[in-house]
Amino acid sequence: MSVVFDGGSLKGMQSSHSHTAPSALSAQELSQEIKSFISGVDAIQGRKLSVREHARCAVRLLRCVPACRGAVLEHLRGVYDEHVSMFLHNLETEGSSSSGATSNLEDIIQEVHGVLSEFIRLNPRAWAPLVSTWAVDLLGQLSSKHAGRRVAPHSSSLNELLQLWMSCAATRSLMEAYSQCLAAMLAWCPDACVDALLDTSVKHSPHFDWVVAHIGSAFPGTIISRVLACGLKDFCSHGAKDQGLLAEKGSRVPKIGSVVGILGHLAAHHSDSIRKELLRMFQESLIPSTPLSPTSSSSSWEASPQLRRAAVPFLLQLAALSPNLFGAVSSELVELLRPPVLLQLQSLLQGLPREELDNMLGLAVHLISQSPTGGARVLKFLADTATPASVIISGPTPSPNEGVREGCDRLLQMLLLHLHKLVFNRSDAAEAGLVGSASSQPQRVTPFLEELRSHVGQLCAETLRLERKRHLWLHQLLCLLSVYGGPSVATETLCQLLTQARNPEELALAWQLHTTLSSCMAGLIPAAVAHCVAQIHTHTLEPRQLRQLLLNLAAAIQSQDEERKGTAGGQSSMAVQIGLAVSGHLHDFGPLLLHGDPAVSNATVRLLSCSPLPRTSSPAHLLLLSRASVTHFFLALRRRGEARKAGRDMGQTGEAVSCSVLLLSRFAAYSPLTLKAILQQLVEGALHKGNADLFGGQIADMSGAPLASPSVSSDLGASLLDINCRFGTTVNFSGSVWSVFHAGVIGKGLKVRTAANQPDPSGVIQNIQTLLAVLVQCCSSSSLNGSQSPSDPGEPLPINAEAAKVVAVTLVENVCPDVANGELSWPPEEHARTTVERDIHIRRCFEAHPVLFPLLQVVAAGRPALCYCSAVLRGLLATLLSHWEASREASSKDSPWHLQASCLLVSCMGEGQLLPPVLANVHEAFAYLNPFEVRLLLLAVWEYVRGNGPLPQKFVFSPDKGMFCRDFSRDGDVSRYVAPIHSVLHKNIDRLGHLCWRFQL
Amino acid sequence: MGDIRQSLLPRDVLSAAKELLYHLDIYICNMVQSGRQPPQVDTKTLDLIEEFILHTPKDRNAPVRRMSALQELQLLEIMCSCFQEQSRDTVRQLMFSALFNLQGNQADESRMALLSKLVSMAVAVGRVPILECAATWLQRTHRVYCVRLAQVLVDDYCSMVPGSGPTLQNIHSASPRFCCQFITAVTTLYDLTSEELTPPLELLQMIVSWIQDDHRLVLITFLNSPLSGSQPLSSLDVTPLGGLIRWCVKAPLAYRRDRKPTSSDGSSDGAPDAARLFSALHLSVLQVFMLLPTILNEKGLFGRLALLQMESVAALTSDLSRLLDQADKHTHAATADAHAASQLALDRLAQALQVAMASGALLCSREDLRAICSRLPHNNLLQLVLSGPVMYYNNIHTPPLAYSPHAAHSPIPSHAAIPTLPAHTPHTPLATHPASHAQYPAQPFMSGMPFPFRPGH
Repeated sequence: MSVVFDGGSLKGMQSSHSHTAPSALSAQELSQEIKSFISGVDAIQGRKLSVREHARCAVRLLRCVPACRGAVLEHLRGVYDEHVSMFLHNLETEGSSSSGATSNLEDIIQEVHGVLSEFIRLNPRAWAPLVSTWAVDLLGQLSSKHAGRRVAPHSSSLNELLQLWMSCAATRSLMEAYSQCLAAMLAWCPDACVDALLDTSVKHSPHFDWVVAHIGSAFPGTIISRVLACGLKDFCSHGAKDQGLLAEKGSRVPKIGSVVGILGHLAAHHSDSIRKELLRMFQESLIPSTPLSPTSSSSSWEASPQLRRAAVPFLLQLAALSPNLFGAVSSELVELLRPPVLLQLQSLLQGLPREELDNMLGLAVHLISQSPTGGARVLKFLADTATPASVIISGPTPSPNEGVREGCDRLLQMLLLHLHKLVFNRSDAAEAGLVGSASSQPQRVTPFLEELRSHVGQLCAETLRLERKRHLWLHQLLCLLSVYGGPSVATETLCQLLTQARNPEELALAWQLHTTLSSCMAGLIPAAVAHCVAQIHTHTLEPRQLRQLLLNLAAAIQSQDEERKGTAGGQSSMAVQIGLAVSGHLHDFGPLLLHGDPAVSNATVRLLSCSPLPRTSSPAHLLLLSRASVTHFFLALRRRGEARKAGRDMGQTGEAVSCSVLLLSRFAAYSPLTLKAILQQLVEGALHKGNADLFGGQIADMSGAPLASPSVSSDLGASLLDINCRFGTTVNFSGSVWSVFHAGVIGKGLKVRTAANQPDPSGVIQNIQTLLAVLVQCCSSSSLNGSQSPSDPGEPLPINAEAAKVVAVTLVENVCPDVANGELSWPPEEHARTTVERDIHIRRCFEAHPVLFPLLQVVAAGRPALCYCSAVLRGLLATLLSHWEASREASSKDSPWHLQASCLLVSCMGEGQLLPPVLANVHEAFAYLNPFEVRLLLLAVWEYVRGNGPLPQKFVFSPDKGMFCRDFSRDGDVSRYVAPIHSVLHKNIDRLGHLCWRFQL
Repeated sequence: MGDIRQSLLPRDVLSAAKELLYHLDIYICNMVQSGRQPPQVDTKTLDLIEEFILHTPKDRNAPVRRMSALQELQLLEIMCSCFQEQSRDTVRQLMFSALFNLQGNQADESRMALLSKLVSMAVAVGRVPILECAATWLQRTHRVYCVRLAQVLVDDYCSMVPGSGPTLQNIHSASPRFCCQFITAVTTLYDLTSEELTPPLELLQMIVSWIQDDHRLVLITFLNSPLSGSQPLSSLDVTPLGGLIRWCVKAPLAYRRDRKPTSSDGSSDGAPDAARLFSALHLSVLQVFMLLPTILNEKGLFGRLALLQMESVAALTSDLSRLLDQADKHTHAATADAHAASQLALDRLAQALQVAMASGALLCSREDLRAICSRLPHNNLLQLVLSGPVMYYNNIHTPPLAYSPHAAHSPIPSHAAIPTLPAHTPHTPLATHPASHAQYPAQPFMSGMPFPFRPGH
C-alpha cells in the first residue's frame, strides 16, 4: 500500500516483485544490485541509498540471489534495530516529531516479513531453522540493547514489557516469524529451535524473558516438553558431578536456570501441563529402555540410557531450584511411587556412583524438608515403604523389594537428621530468648514441619501403633516437630498422646517425649493438661477418647505412687507434675462425673480419686465438685445394682463405686466446707425419692406416705378440692380431715397400701453398707478436730461429732420439715398429741426409708450429735407409743416393723447416750413382751428423756477415748425410771430371766 | 609471497582478504609467465589463503577472525569480478585451484562453504569463468565434495528461493561443462534411496529439458577431457549416464513408494508428472547412447572404454532386486499398479542394458549380465536381452538394433539379430524363431526419431 506513495526509481521494480519477479532481473542487473547493496550506493545513479531503498534492495537480493542470504539477513538486523530505535524514540517524544519515518520503515518491515513468511510457508524445512535462529537472536539483541531505554519498563514487569514489544512492528514481526518457524519445525526437529531459544534466553536474560513467555504460552505443550528435554540434555552433558552443590547454582548450570525461569513464567497459566510433563518425564525415564520399540514421543531423550539415568537427578535439581515446580509435582509424585515404579527406580539408580547417589539423597532430603504441601503424604509413603515387612502387620500395599526398603529407610533417617539439624540450629539462633519468648522472634521456617503441624494428631496415632521401627521414626519426628513448633505444638502433641494412648507401653511414649522435651521446654505438662481441659470444654473429644484421656491421666498420677514405692525414676517428677496440673483443674473435671457415658464418669472418678487435691480452691468449685461427686456416687450405686441385676461382671461398676467412695472420703477430708457439703448431700441423696429405692425405700409423697401406684390411686375418686367444696369455706378441721386423708377417704375404706416391692434385698443391704461406709469414712477422716492418727490402724477412727451433727441436722431437715416444736428438750408425753401430724409424717418417713435407722446409728456414734435429732426421735417414739397403746395384738411380734423400729430407736438413743445403759437395754426385751408392756417401757424412756433433756452441752470430750461422753451420774437418779422395767421383768420373769442382769443399776 | 603476512595481519578481515587476492593474482601471473612446470602454488601461499581468506586459525592462541555475512558477500563480489576480469584461463584456473582445491585439512570446511557461495552467486549473476573453473574443480575433486556443492546449488535454487529455478536453468547456456558436471553430481547425490535423496521435481524438469534440448550435453565432459583417462580416484563419473539410468530404472518404484503415504490426496500432483519426465529422460538417455558409437569410433575408443561401469550396473541391479523384494513384501496382494511399476522398471533396465551394450558403452559378456541380473524377477524383455547374441559393432554404419513398436507383443526378441551375423544365432536359446529376423530387416535408427515408448503392458 505505502509503496504507491513512495515514488523513486525503485518503485516499479519493487511493486512487480511480489511473486515471480526475479526472472525479470538479468544477471547484469543482479550484479549491479549486489554492488549497490554492498556499497549502499545506487550503482547506476551514484547516489546514496536511503534506509528504505537499501532494505528493498536487500529484499530483492534475498529473492534472487541465494548466496546473499546471510548478508541480507545481517543487513536487516540493522533495519529492524533502526526501526526499534525510532519507535522508542517516538514513544519518548510522545510521537510529536517524525512519526512518518516510523511508518515508512514499518512498511519495509511488513515487506520483509511477508517475504520471509512466504519462504517459510513454501519451504519450511530449509527456512524455518534459519529464520528462527536469526529472529531469536535478533530479538535477544534488540531487547537487551533497548532494555535501558526510558520508556522500556523494567524487565521484571513482564506484562508491560510484552505489551511494549508487541506494539512495535519490528519485534512483533520477528515474533510472528519465529512462531511460524516454530510451528513448522515442531514437526521434525523441535529440539533445535528450543535450543536456540534457550541459548538466547541465557544470553539475554532477563530482557529476553518476554519472548520466552510469549512463545511458551503460544506453544505450551511442546515448549514445555522441549524445554525440559533441552535442559535434561544440557544437564547430562554438563555432567552431574557438582549437582549437589546448591550454593553455586547461580553460576553453574546456565541452562537449567533458564529452564526454571521459563517454566516459572509458564507456571502461571499452564501449571497443569507443566506438572504433566514433569511427571511424564519421570515416568518415561523409568521405563526400561527397549531400543526396538521407540516410544510414541518424538523427542529423543528417552532413547538414550544416559539421559534416562540423568532424568531423575535432573528433576530433583529442577525442583530444588524452583519451589513452584516442586510444589506442582510433589503432590502427585508420591501417588506415582507404587511398588513397581519403585523397583524401576531402584534398578535405574543402581547404576549411579555412590557419590552421586549421596548427592541425590541429600537433594531429596532438602526438597522434602522444604516442601510446603503434601508433607504428610510423603512421610506416610516413606514410613510405609521403609517399614520392614512383618508377619504380623501387613501393610495396605505389598511390601516392596528389600533394596527399595533400605533406600527409603536411609532416606528417612537422613531426613530426620536433616530436620534435626534444622530445628536445633534454628533454636540455637533463638537461644538468647527464653523458650517462651522464642516464638516471638522471626525464625527460619521449615515448610515440611510447618505443614506437619496440622497433622500432629495423625502422627501421634501412627506412632502409638508401635509398629516396629516406624514408631521410633515418628516419635523422633514428633520430638522435632514439638521443638520446632514451640510450646503450642509440644502441648498439642503431648495432649494427643495422652488422649490416644491405650496402654502403659503407649503411654510410655508420652513420657519419653516429655523427657526429651523437658530439657528445652518448661511448663509443658501444665500446658498440656490445660489443653486437654480446653478440649474437654469444647466437647471435641469422643466419649471414648475422653475416657482414655482421663484414664491415662489417672495412670500417670498413679505411677507416681508406684514410683514412690519403688525406686524414684525420671518419671516420678512428671507424675508429680501431672498430679499438680490435674489438681489445678479438678473443677473442670468435676462435671465429667455426671457424663452420660458411664465409662467416662467412671474414668473421671478414677482420676479424681487418685489426683492430689489442690492446696487452695474456691468454695464454689468445691461445692460443685462435691455435689457432682455425691451424685456420681449414687449413680455408681445404681449402676452397680443394674449390673448385678443383669448378671454382668460387676468389677468395673464395683471399682467405680469404690473409687467414688475413695473420692468422697478424700474430698470430705479436704476441708470442713466439703465435709459438710458432702455429708449433707449424701444424706439428702439417700433420702431423695430418686435414690430411695437403692436403699430399700419407697417413693414417698409429700406426707411421707408411700405413694400408691397411679393405677391404684385413680379410682379413689377423691380430691382435696372436692372435699373443700363440700365442707364450705370453714378452715378449721381440727386435724380430722387430714387424718382421714392419711388413712383413706371416709366411706371408701382404708387407703390401699402399695405392696412394698423389694426387688433385691441383698443389693439394698450392699448399698446401705456402702453408704454407711462412705458416711463413716467421711465423718471419721474429717480434719475437723485435727488429724488424729489412731494408735491402732485396725481400729476405725471415731466418728467426728461435728460431722455427725451435720448428718443429724440434715436428717432432721429432711425427715421433719415442720420446724414447730423443734426444741431439743422433750415435753411430757401428753403433749405429743399436738404434733400428731408431724409424728405420723416422721413415722412414715422411717417406714419408707429403711436407711434412716442406719443413719441414725451413725449419728448416734458421733456423740452428741444425736441430740440434734431430738425432734425426729420424739416424733417416732410418740407414734410408736400410740401404736403400742392402740395395739390389741397378743405379742409385740405381731407388729414387726414397729417392734423393729422401737428396738432400733432405743438402741440408737442408747448409743447416742441419750439414755443411760440401763434404759438403753430395754429394747432387748421388746420381742418377748406384749404391746402394752412395750408401751410401758417406751414410756419410761420418754420420761427419762423428758427428765434429762438431750442437750449437747451435757457431753464432755474425753481425750483418752477421742470422743464426747456423757456422764450420767450428773443427771438425776435413774432408778425411778427403771421401776416400770423391773415390774415388767417381774411379770415376765419366765421369759426374761436371762435379761435381768442387763437392767441392774 | 610469504613475506606479506606481516603486512596483512593488522588489516581488517575484508581488506586483508582483498589484498591477498590481489597479490595472489600477481603471483600466479608471474608463475605462469616464468613457465615453471608444473605450475604449482607453494604451501606458504596456501597457508596465507587459509589464514586470511578462509579464516582458519593458525594456532590456538590467535584470535579467531571472522567475517560478517556482509563482508563475506563483499569478498565474494570481489572474487567474482576478479575471476571475471582475469583474461587468461590458465591463471584463472590456477588461482581457483589455489583457493578451492581441497587440502585435506581443517580449512576444507570453510573452503567448501565459500566455494558453494561463490558458485551459487556465479550462477545468479552469470559469471561464466567461475562456472568453468568450477566444472574443472568438479572433475578433479572427490565425489563427496562435488555432491555437497551440487546439494548447495539445488537447495539454493530449487528449494530455498522460490522462483529462482530459471536462474539455474541458465547455466546450460552459460557453461555446458559446468552443467554436465552438475548433472553428474546431482545424479550421484540423488540415488532415490530415500525421500531426501529423491530429486526435487523442479530439478528433474530442468535436467530433462537440458538433455532433451541437447543430447551431447551429457557427453561434454567426456568429449572435452583428454584421452589419458587419468581420472583422479573417486571423482565423479565422466558422464552422468550411469546415474541417469539409475534414475530412470528406479523411478517407477521410488516414486510409487513415496506416493504411498499420501495416496489419498497426493497422487495427482507429483507422480504422473514425474513419471512423464522420467520416461522422457529415459528416451533421451537411450538417444545419447545412440550417439556414442560414432563418438567412440571417432576417438578410436570403441570397445576399449566403458562409459558405463560394470560395477555401477551391478549395484543398480542389486538395488533394484532389493526394491522389488520390498515392494512385494509391502503389498502381498500385488496390485496391478505395483506390478506395472516393477515391470516398467525392468523394461527400462533391459532397454538400457541392451542399448548400452550395443552402443559400446557397457563392455561385458552376456554371461556376466546374467549373473548380475539373476536375482531379478521375470521380465520378458530382460529375458530376451540376457539371452540374445553378444554383438559388438565395429561398423558404425550398421544400425545396431532394430526396434519395433510391436516388440513387446510379439514373441520375437526386440533386439532381433541382424541377418548379417547369423553365426551368432546358435547362441540364443530362442533359436526357434530365426525366421522372424527377416521380418524386421535392417531399419536404420535415426537419432531424433520419436521413440515408441510404452509405459506398461
